[in-house]
Amino acid sequence: MNQTYAVAAVTAVVLATVLIGALGLRISRTTSDFYVASRTVRPGLNAAAISGEYLSAASFLGIAGLVLVQGPAMLWYPVGYTAGYLVLLVLVAAPLRRSGAYTLSDFAEARLESPQVRRLASLFVVGIGWLYLLPQLQGAGLTLEILTGAPDWVGGLLVALVVTGTVAAGGMRSITFVQAFQYWLKLTALLVPVLFLLAAWYGDGAPRARFDAPAVLRGHTVVKVADTVRIGLDAPLTLTVTGSVDSVPYEKRTVTLAPGTHHVLGGTTLAFAPGAALPERVASGTDPLGWSQPLAGGRDGHQLYATYGLILATFLGTMGLPHVAVRFYTSPNGRAARRTTLVVLGLVGAFYLLPPLYGALGRIYAPELALTGSADAAVLVLPDRILGGLLGDLLGALLAGGAFAAFLSTASGLTMSVAGVLTQDVLPSRGVRHFRLATLLATAVPLAVGVFASKVPVADAVGLAFAVSASSFCPLLVLGIWWRRLTPPGATAGLLLGGGSALAAVMATRAGLAPEGWPHTLMAWPAVWSVPLGFLTMVLVSLATPRRVPSGTPALLARLHLPEEIIGTVPGPAHEVRR
Amino acid sequence: MSGIALAAAAAAGAVLLAAGFVLGRLAARRGGRSADPDLGTPVERATFHTLHTASLAAPPLRAGLTEETARRAAGTLRSLLGTEALCLTDRGAVLAWDGPGEDHHRAHVPEQAAETLETGRSRSVHTDCADPACPLRWAVIAPLTGEDGVLGALVAYGSRESAVLVRAATEVARWASVQLELAELDRSRTRIVEAEIRALRAQISPHFIFNSLAAIASFVRTDPEQARELLLEFADFTRYSFRRHGEFAQLADELRSIEQYLALAGARFGDRLKVTLQIAPEVLPVTLPFLCLQPLVENAVKHGLEDRERGCRVTIAARDAGAEAVVTVEDDGIGMDPELLRAVLRGEHPAGSGIGLSNVDERLRQVYGAEYGLVIETGVGAGMKVTVRIPKYRQGVHRSSP
Amino acid sequence: MSEQHPPPAPGRGDPQRRPRRETVTYASAHGARTTVPGPARRHAVHPPARSEIDEQTTLGHTYVRSLMRSQLRAALTALGALALLVGSLPLLLALPAPEAFVWLALGVGVYPVVWGTAHWYVRRAERNERDFTGLVER
Repeated sequence: MNQTYAVAAVTAVVLATVLIGALGLRISRTTSDFYVASRTVRPGLNAAAISGEYLSAASFLGIAGLVLVQGPAMLWYPVGYTAGYLVLLVLVAAPLRRSGAYTLSDFAEARLESPQVRRLASLFVVGIGWLYLLPQLQGAGLTLEILTGAPDWVGGLLVALVVTGTVAAGGMRSITFVQAFQYWLKLTALLVPVLFLLAAWYGDGAPRARFDAPAVLRGHTVVKVADTVRIGLDAPLTLTVTGSVDSVPYEKRTVTLAPGTHHVLGGTTLAFAPGAALPERVASGTDPLGWSQPLAGGRDGHQLYATYGLILATFLGTMGLPHVAVRFYTSPNGRAARRTTLVVLGLVGAFYLLPPLYGALGRIYAPELALTGSADAAVLVLPDRILGGLLGDLLGALLAGGAFAAFLSTASGLTMSVAGVLTQDVLPSRGVRHFRLATLLATAVPLAVGVFASKVPVADAVGLAFAVSASSFCPLLVLGIWWRRLTPPGATAGLLLGGGSALAAVMATRAGLAPEGWPHTLMAWPAVWSVPLGFLTMVLVSLATPRRVPSGTPALLARLHLPEEIIGTVPGPAHEVRR
Repeated sequence: MSGIALAAAAAAGAVLLAAGFVLGRLAARRGGRSADPDLGTPVERATFHTLHTASLAAPPLRAGLTEETARRAAGTLRSLLGTEALCLTDRGAVLAWDGPGEDHHRAHVPEQAAETLETGRSRSVHTDCADPACPLRWAVIAPLTGEDGVLGALVAYGSRESAVLVRAATEVARWASVQLELAELDRSRTRIVEAEIRALRAQISPHFIFNSLAAIASFVRTDPEQARELLLEFADFTRYSFRRHGEFAQLADELRSIEQYLALAGARFGDRLKVTLQIAPEVLPVTLPFLCLQPLVENAVKHGLEDRERGCRVTIAARDAGAEAVVTVEDDGIGMDPELLRAVLRGEHPAGSGIGLSNVDERLRQVYGAEYGLVIETGVGAGMKVTVRIPKYRQGVHRSSP
Repeated sequence: MSEQHPPPAPGRGDPQRRPRRETVTYASAHGARTTVPGPARRHAVHPPARSEIDEQTTLGHTYVRSLMRSQLRAALTALGALALLVGSLPLLLALPAPEAFVWLALGVGVYPVVWGTAHWYVRRAERNERDFTGLVER
């Protein structure tokens, strides 16, 4: 792959982000276009911005990678990411906007009139934000490693630096335009190459992607295994090995491996002859690469459980993501918030039609990525693999630019909201300087953790943040909006028990502490039990403390649900008519 | 294998069936647009509509029974009753007629109504109309009463004798009578509203009103279109400023009001006043104290144009800063002595210049806390820049204040 | 200010419990004119639905709760459709379905269903709000 084009594309995306962020204010120099400049953001623009912020590395790279390795069952990820907005739309969108809250902590305080609940909510905002930032930075590292061969921490550092710098310097002053631009960039970056790739695939005789049998390598293939893996063989396999297999060192030796499980040491190079069946990675319970394994099938019950775990986490978790909630503030009123969400559903859904195609093409043309542990790179290497030449380089560069747009948009959105909460509720005093400090803190922590944490598929890692959000903020928001008997003790207990247990399970899974078998599946997909736990705790403790129902509850619920024309003072109609 | 395929097909069929059922239910709901038990059935809505129509007739009647009010009320009352024609009279003459047949029936009304006006009792009479095509065959005459007895009569015409017409006409007349009785009470209300408006008007500088009107007047001959535009701006501006409830407003609305203010000021000063606006659209929904930016802009315009021949530029910027919005108002005018300004902010120069600043400062600190007061950068001859920080969310700060 | 005037003189009677016109007398009307200004009295008789909500009376609460119930019904209907059409898919796919069906259902088919449900909900919720506004504003 030609590095120059890719580096140029990434640089261009970074520059455009900084420039639009700094200059994208609405400016008027005459009073006649004053009105245009002071008009609130239209649902279309706002929806593109929300989608741009939402479509992270997990969507741009992760889904294709997972599909390549595990097959079409992984399509539950994009389905969940989309349907989450439907649940958010019907249960939360308009009331959340009408609450006037900017962050989820604001909502907790407004609804429960309790600074303690606010602080607890802030902790969860920061925790979920960091869980979500971590895979973004790791994904950036992987991308830059694939593109330039730089060490895997460089990409993460680059994204962290750009985001921290621009956010702290106030360069993200007009984040709406930046994010909207990045949505369309991401869509173009996936759409244009896939048209060429599909044409090439058709010209190749339209081979079918097979997920029910080991992938067959189409040409002579050399694979360098990055981390130590175990591979499983159904039939004897002859290949050339440089490195160590089953603790036996080889130096460019042709070996025939017997059927069964083999142990390949990290750094070993395997060379396959054309037509060879690619060995499959064998997941062990503590192997983080095995998280999505249950989704794809295998042991009884695990698949169904894991699928519902994913569905619950993504369907209910979207509403509690810190960077999603703050974007609703930009809508002028509740009705616009609803319409905006509807457009978001369209934009996000249209985007998610594309990644599965990359996954399927990757299974055909680059199946060996599954062995090396960098399946997330499938999207990036396909143009070079299928088309090659200048066209392949250019399309690869476009995809690299799109991937960086994905890292930057989600990371900057998350950093803004995490830093906002840190300034307001965690760091001692307020002011511009503290916001900068908070920005630094917001990116430094996940960056540092990212260096040490195990590498997992980015979509899997994002799924964990969804699970925590679904178990903590979903009960808080849904009960807060629709149930008048919620009390501060109930909310606190629910957040701690539901969100806390999900967080603990997720952390243990990430740290590799979960025992193999059912315990691992239960802890890797906690939403099935932690979401009901959160709801139940909130309801029961609230019912047990009926005297603690905040006095302003009826007034606040009225404000959340009444249309603005009834509650707010609407400026005179003459103005609108005249324009 | 075929057994498995069959099972899959059966399951898919079941899902499709369920989907069809749900869609059918949804469609049915949409068709019968209001099975919603909380927001009313069509019948209930029709009732509300009737009651609403009745309430529309109330305001004219509240002004007393005159030719003008009777004319305005007659149409609504007729649609309320659903009669062919309706007539309202006072003690002496016919005041209003709604519906057909006026030409040959109106003249008979006084004699038909005379008995009712005398006794105060309703009557039902045949019209004895000679025209076979005329739909007005029967009339119900009901008294309209006030504090001083019978004020007039309501005559409802139908195509046939009908108990429904009788009942409806008497009930409507009874209802209209209550409105007439209240008319007298309403007159005292008008005086109070006027007093309130006078009090509110005091909030806007009278100079501004006079100057704006003078500027508009100067355009009336030379550029009537411009004068009309300005008048509308003036109307919008005063409507917004006179807004009576709600302590807080959205930044977008405040900016719109400032736009109108600047358009009016611009009409006076012409090219001398230049305005630049820089807005990050995501802060437009921010809620802030009502009319807290307008004094800053007024101050900037005043400082910028005072004692000077050359023009001045006022820059208004609103930027996003995470959980806060930052609004700045800057002018390149004469500026102000910082010591004097400090005294003003301390409240020691109550009548001096910059009183608007101190007022805004105080309100912001009251609402958001001491650290959210105005930050003013100025010096004599150095222009002035006022910075306002507004938290995007603050407990208790929201657009409506019930 | 007008609302804070002293209550009507005793003996004048509470107008709210006096729907019949006969009880209004010349004397009381004049008394009202001098002691109670019009607006206060009028408010006491027929406050509009909107001010019931503003003033958080029991009537106001009932209005708000009705709106909440109808909006919640719309939301639950949409969620039910989602659960039925999308949430049941894992069970369906647990059967050995042809791979093409999995691709079509999860890769393409789900999105129009989700969007259609959302569209229905937005229309329904806005209609509920319009109906509600009509109920309390006219």
